[in-house]
Amino acid sequence: MKNLKLKAARAGLDMSQDDLAKAVGVSRQTISSIEKGDYNPTINLCINICKTLHKTLDDLFWETEA
Amino acid sequence: MIGNNIAMYGMTLGLIVGLIIAIVIIKYANKNNKFKTEYDERQKIERGKGYTIAFYTLVAYESLMSLLSIGDIELPLHDFAIHFTGIVIAITVHCVYCIWKEVYWGLNNDRKKYMMVFALCIVLNALPVLGNALAGNLFDNGKIGLAMLNIMVLIMLVIVVITMLIKGMVNKNTGTDEE
Repeated sequence: MKNLKLKAARAGLDMSQDDLAKAVGVSRQTISSIEKGDYNPTINLCINICKTLHKTLDDLFWETEA
Repeated sequence: MIGNNIAMYGMTLGLIVGLIIAIVIIKYANKNNKFKTEYDERQKIERGKGYTIAFYTLVAYESLMSLLSIGDIELPLHDFAIHFTGIVIAITVHCVYCIWKEVYWGLNNDRKKYMMVFALCIVLNALPVLGNALAGNLFDNGKIGLAMLNIMVLIMLVIVVITMLIKGMVNKNTGTDEE
């Protein structure tokens, strides 16, 4: 399942995938894979992403029924 | 016997020199001048799958070669070249898998410098092949001799470069290169 919340939060801070990748110490392709839902990140990477984007784990990684 | 010893010493020397050059070049080609290439968590997982596929490829290849040997089917290759071919095939499989999964390049790799290293490797491997071909030493008793090792490495490098180009084109066409 695509992680549109992550994509929106990143875009909200005017960050590219590359910017976010560098900030959390992963490759751009890894950020792309997370956004596309192809890769489930570890909790450590989730926390790093949340801290960088000033969001909580719930904000970005908790699936809510639409 | 003497010929075999020369081949063994030549190959050992080649491997040692290659290893030293690789250490120096990798240190130079990495952005933070570290020898070790760094990968993120997804890259490590995917590369692990790549190693698994390469391992089973090598097992299948060596099993096939063992069967051919039991059946007394002789290939136009020396024994060392048969084993070296298996190693090169396994490495090629690993490289192609990693390129396709976009985990070939580490976080601290300088791609431009690595492409220069690739070009250097192609030239360094092409020179002995050309030298042997011009001197008529490409075949030894009807079998491909030591030049086979350079030919295999050349084929591997060409496959790696072609895979990179194809993957680049696929990414452009599918838009996965973009945000």
